[in-house]
Formats: sequence, structure tokens, C-alpha cells
Amino acid sequence: MKPDDAQVNWVEEPKLGLTGKMYLPLIFSGLAVTTKHLFGPKMTVSFPEQRPEIGNPLIYRGVHRLNKDEQGRVKCVACFLCATACPAHCIDIIAAPSPWPDRDKYCESFTIDELRCIFCGMCEEACPVDAVELTSLFDLTGRSREEMIFDKEKLLSVYDMTKDAEPMKSRVMGASP
Amino acid sequence: MTGIDNITLIASLLLGLGLWMLLPRGSSRGKAFGLVLTTAAMGLFAYKLFPLDDLVSDAVFYVMTAVTLVSAVGAVTMRSPVYCAIWFALTLLGTAGLFFFQGAQFLGVATIVVYAGAILVTFLFVLMLCNPEGDSLYDRLSFEAGISSITGALLVGLLTWTAAATVFGDAKAVAAKPAEGPAPIAFASSYEAQGKSILTDHHVERLGMELFTRHLLAVEVAGTLLLVALVGAVAIVAHSRPADELGPATEEGRRNA
Amino acid sequence: MLAISIEALIKIALLVGGLMTGAAYFVLLERWIAAWVQDRKGPNRVGIPLTKIKLFGLGQPLADGLKFIFKEEATPRHVDKVLFTLAPISILAAALAIYAVIPFGSVLPKDGVPGVDHQINLIVAPGIDVGMIYMFALSSIAVYGVILGGWASNSKYSLLGGLRSSAQLIAYELPMGLAIVGVVLMTGSMRLEEVIGVQASTGTWFAFSQPLGFVIFVVASFAEAARLPFDLPEAEQELVGGYHTEYAGMRLIMYLIAEFLHMITASFLIAILFLGGWHFWGITGGSSTDVTWFQAIARIVVLNVKIFAIIVFFMLARWSWPRFRFDQLMSLAWKVMLPLGLVNLVAVACLVEYQPVLESKLGSLGITAAMWAIAFVAWIAAGILAPLHSDNSARKDNFVLDAERRNRGLRPGIAGPSATGPY
Repeated sequence: MKPDDAQVNWVEEPKLGLTGKMYLPLIFSGLAVTTKHLFGPKMTVSFPEQRPEIGNPLIYRGVHRLNKDEQGRVKCVACFLCATACPAHCIDIIAAPSPWPDRDKYCESFTIDELRCIFCGMCEEACPVDAVELTSLFDLTGRSREEMIFDKEKLLSVYDMTKDAEPMKSRVMGASP
Repeated sequence: MTGIDNITLIASLLLGLGLWMLLPRGSSRGKAFGLVLTTAAMGLFAYKLFPLDDLVSDAVFYVMTAVTLVSAVGAVTMRSPVYCAIWFALTLLGTAGLFFFQGAQFLGVATIVVYAGAILVTFLFVLMLCNPEGDSLYDRLSFEAGISSITGALLVGLLTWTAAATVFGDAKAVAAKPAEGPAPIAFASSYEAQGKSILTDHHVERLGMELFTRHLLAVEVAGTLLLVALVGAVAIVAHSRPADELGPATEEGRRNA
Repeated sequence: MLAISIEALIKIALLVGGLMTGAAYFVLLERWIAAWVQDRKGPNRVGIPLTKIKLFGLGQPLADGLKFIFKEEATPRHVDKVLFTLAPISILAAALAIYAVIPFGSVLPKDGVPGVDHQINLIVAPGIDVGMIYMFALSSIAVYGVILGGWASNSKYSLLGGLRSSAQLIAYELPMGLAIVGVVLMTGSMRLEEVIGVQASTGTWFAFSQPLGFVIFVVASFAEAARLPFDLPEAEQELVGGYHTEYAGMRLIMYLIAEFLHMITASFLIAILFLGGWHFWGITGGSSTDVTWFQAIARIVVLNVKIFAIIVFFMLARWSWPRFRFDQLMSLAWKVMLPLGLVNLVAVACLVEYQPVLESKLGSLGITAAMWAIAFVAWIAAGILAPLHSDNSARKDNFVLDAERRNRGLRPGIAGPSATGPY
């Protein structure tokens, strides 16, 4: 590299003026900024008393749910696309022949290890039938590791719990039912 | 010298031997015995010098002295240079305590500021760059252990003997010296009228007056000496750098060029 | 003898108790201010234990202290065990011992306390004639705690922190000393009580009569307390924790308390030496020791309010300005602060020597104006002559110079004032 290379763009630091060299004026302007913020409005949300506002629940990635169709059946067709897409390998599906005529397979068991999950939303993207979705529930706690492994019933119950507040994303976003 | 008594002689001998055993000489045999000998010698010196009369002030004095002496022995006998420096710092603290005990506040505090605060910190600054686990034998041995312990013992013995003779008026030991030399310069000023005691509220003021009137020349000479040393240090640093490195390297130099 | 001992013991107990509680609560204040400046709320949960009363988080220091006590006292295997333990003890002891000569109020009224026949001076060791040098001596002992901790930890971060700290503390002791000498010249005494007494009797704080000395002293005490923008010994982003990287548990809390004590000491000194100590116009009376109870208490309150304000300033400064680079720190000490200190010293010496002449010609207001003018001119001159903004960023002229040097077979390097400086 030559210093007069036309492709090298030399950026010069701005030269300090007299006030900059005096230091004290700049020091006082810095102090003025901190003092302004000292008495300014605070951003903190005092969590248990005050719930945070989630801007758009449709793009929030919280606890998973397993959606049901109009007849109350689980929508999942056990295609394993979510389990394949999952970078954390936290989805475990056992497939069985479907008792219903409109699909070949359904999931006999569907478990998500919420402790291994990184909440990336890839399962949601991968799902061809919009069965697995991420809700806006963020305060996920448990007393044991076992409790944090969500099975099919629990995931369906998350759907029952959140379906009124958050309709299925596919419909909202204009996908086919 | 006929005046030197047996106790001082024995104590000096014991001290010399004990210190020689304690000094790091390569083998670590005889350390415990050296410690016993040194302690015994110090006890003898104490017995020689100071009979206990006022319990409280004597106790303070003895504690200070013990701290000073023990840490002085530690300062010369430790193997690790950093530990030597720490023991030496403790010696200085003990000395400062003794000064305080005598009412010489300024001397005590100045000892700490100058020696413990500046000089020893500079030592430590250099020593910190030593590896704490490096065991270079060269750094950890005391050379001329024999000569130095003999000299130290001699010095302490002579000092003790002189001090004991002066304090307790042992006129036979110290040849009585009437004021033969020139009489001290008569120095009349207001502060002399306040009494000779150093234990006044404003003894720093008095010390300053003394230093900057009677001893002005000495103060100025010492100051000049320090200044010369400082200039010399800067000159050495400036010369050791190649001329080219100094020339156009500064921003101003380039701008002018 | 016994009465004096008891009096001294009570004062020590008050002071140490106050300082320890103060240090604990200043940690809380520090966290609050850090949060408020960053638009957060800060710790506000811990109140009275076992109840739901939160008290704005005032129980936090207790919880912090308990946490430290129950922490494991981890000693890494590679450390020098004796010095590793000795270092925090020495720094805390030195930081506390300074308070023997620092007054925490003025005096109590004569015959105000039953059973005491003399007037009580609110200072642990009244009548120490070398107060300021004593303070210097102890702050130089505190350096040992840092150096030894850094060396004994046997870790590169600790060592770097210790090295930086020792160089920094030695460098900034000089301008601090020069600023103090200015005050000593005007007072004629090295006792902190008398410094306040002189300011109270004239009604002019030394910050007004020698502004240059005031600025130098404040900058130097920031550096001596190792607070931002001078916190290089423990710069978290560079050195993990600096000299106390390897420490945990009670030994760590000793270091942390000592650091807060240094800051409180610096605030005491700024307040006492330059801001009039306990003096405030119209409330505390002149320098007379014949005080009423109201004046005695007002003096204590005024001093503490000043100290509190200075500490808040210390904490705000932490979030206002970025940290200096080490060569900037050194050139600030040796090339800017030291010459400015000498200018201040000479100005004050001239003022003291020719006071009657100057007063008759200029008037006392004129003298103050002259001191301000000197401070202003000296500051501008220092800013122009010793610029600190020596940069080592990639600049075209530096690059050209490097290439030239390489062609001539010389060592390439970032050429600029910083590269040819002492570090």
C-alpha cells in the first residue's frame, strides 16, 4: 500500500480549536449532558408490578404453542421440518398414522425443550401448515428441568391460553386457513 | 580502648555471629541458631542501655525499637528482594514512630514521605518486574556476608558503648571534652526566646526558621545538588537516544520541515 | 489522661462508624447516580428484611455487605500468600489513619458537655503540627497496598494495574503538593483546623483567592483517588479489575472500602483546603471558637453538605468524561499540572510577600481579580503550549514518515509527540 494510493481514503481527525485545547469548556459540556440525564425521564420498567408493552406480538418470539384447527385437532402433520430446521435440536417428534382422512401422519408426541431452545423462530418459519408458532409470553419459569420440557398437551394448552389475545399468525397475515 | 565493658563486647560478638548465620549464604543451615543469637544480643544491648523506670513510655519505646530492629534484621536477611523492601519499609515506620515518640513530628513524617513514600516505592516499582518465582541464585545471595556482619556488629557495639557512656555520664569511657572548638554562633531571634523545647505547638515553624536562617547554605547546596542530579538524569536519557529518532519525529519538526 | 483517652475513643468510634456506613451508602449512591445518568432507576428493591417495605432500596448496602461476608475467600494457588493478605490490610489501615488529622466539624461549645472541663475539638488528634505532611505520608503508604497487591497476585492484569497505579500516584503527588503549598503559604500553618480558621476569619475561601491551585488540586485528587477519568489502575475494559483482579470476599471488600475512603478523603480535603471547610457566610460565624450549640451543629452540617456535594460531583464526573490514555495521563501530570502548580505557587508567594503594597494599590478585590487573570492566562498558555491531543491514529503524514524511515533502514513507528514521550 502506498500512501498516495487513490483508493486509500485518508480520514483526518478534526483539529481541536482553542476551546478544545482548554479542556474545561468541553468538560463542562460533558457534565451538562450527564446532569440533564440525571433528572430526565427513566426508561426502566419495574417488572413484576408493571408489565412491559410488547410492540407487535406477531413478530415477538416467546414461548411456543401448538395450534389447533377449527375442529380442535392438532394442526401438526409430523413432517419433521421444524425439528430439522431447529439449530438447537430441541424439538422431538414421534409420528403416527393419522386417524383423520385429511392427512397421512400426525404427531403422537411433540416435545420442545424450552431450556435448549434459543427462540430463533426457525421452526415457525419452517412449518408448512402453521402448526408451531411463537407467542409473546416471555416470563417463562419453572422449578425443575423436567417441567421445562413442554410436551404436546402443554403446548396445546399454551394455544388455548393465548388464542384470544393472539390469533393465529397465518390468518392475520393473510395466509390460507 | 579500655573503657569498653564485657557486656557490650559479648553482645557485639553474638550479634555479628547471629547475623552472619541469618544472612542468605547459600545453605540455610543454622538459621534458627542465628535467630537465637541475634535475639540474645539485642536483649543484652537493651539491658546495657535502658533500665526500665517509667513503665508506659518505656513500653512504647521498647515496642517501637523492637519493630525497628527486627524489621531491620529482616531487611538484610530475606532472600526475596520484595520482602527485603517491605521489611525496610517497616524499619522506616518504626523509625518514624521513634521520632514521633521524641516529639519530632516533622522528622517522623518526613521520613515516611521521603523514604517509604518515594524511594522505596521506586524500588518496588523496579522490583515488581522481577518474577516472583524466578530463583536466580545471584539475586538471592548475600555476598561478603562475613565482612558486612562484622562491620555491622562493630558499628552497633561502638554506638551502644558511646551512647551508654554519654547518657549515663560514664566519664571514664568518653574522654571529657570541654568546649574547645569555636563557640556556637550566637543567634538571637524571637523564637529562641520562646524556650528551647521542641515540643511546642509550632515546632514546624521553628524548624523552618532554623533551616532557612542558620542552615541556609546547607539547604541551598543540597537543593543545587539535587537539581544537578536531575538535569544529569535528563541529559543521560536524551543522549542515549539516537539523534535521528529525535529530529523530525515530532509533529512540530515535521511541520517546520 | 483517662478522660482524654475516652474522648479520643468516642471520636474514633464516631468517625470510623460514620466512615464505614458512609462508604457503604456511597456505594449505593454511586449505583443510583450511575443508573440515573443512564436513564435507569437503579437499585430500589431491598428494604427492611422479611417485610415488604422497600424504602427506596436503602437496605441494599446491608445486602451487599452480607454477600461479601458469605463469599468464598478464594486464594489462587500461584499467589504470594503473605503479601496477598497484607496488601489489602495495609491499604485500609492507611486510608483510615488519615482521618486522625482531618477535622469533621469545628468545636463544641465551652462547658457544653457535662463533665468535660475543656473545649472539645472535633478532630481525633488535635494539635498535630504536621497535619498535611502526615496526610501525604499516609497516602504514600496506601500506594504499598496497591503495589503489593498487584505484585503478590502474580497475574499480568494485576501487575499492570499495580505498575500503572504506582507511576500515576507518584506523578500526581507533585502537583497536589504544589497546590497544598499555596494554601500553606497563605495560612502559615500545616494544620487543617487553622486552614479553615483563616478562611472563616477572612470570609474568602481559597478557591476564590487561588483558582489555579483549586483546579490543580481537584484534578490531582481525582488522580490520587483513581477515579474516572484517571482510573487506569483498574480500568475494567483493559485490565479486568486491575490490581485486585485476583481478590475475592473480605479481602476484596477491604480494597473497595479503601477506594471509597480515598474518595471521601479527597472530598474532605477539597472542602477543607479550598472551599472553606465548615465556614458559610452568615450561618457559622467567624473563626471564633466561642460558639453556641446552633453554630457548632451548623458547622458540622455545612462541612458534611459540602463533602456530599463534592462526592456527587466525583460520581457525575465518572459518567461525563472518557478515560485518559496512559501517556496523556503522564503528560498531563508532568507537562501541564506541574508547571501550572509552579505558576500558582509563585503567584501566591508574591501575593503573601507583597500583600501590604498590593492591597494599597489594587484593593483586596483587585488582588483576587489578578489571581483569576493569572489563572486564566496560565491555563490558556498551557493549553496552547502542551496540547494533550497527540493522536496515534492512521494519518497520511505519519504513514509517509514511516515509509521514509523504513527506506532509510530505521525503526518504523507512529511518529508524533506520544511516541517520543517518556512512555
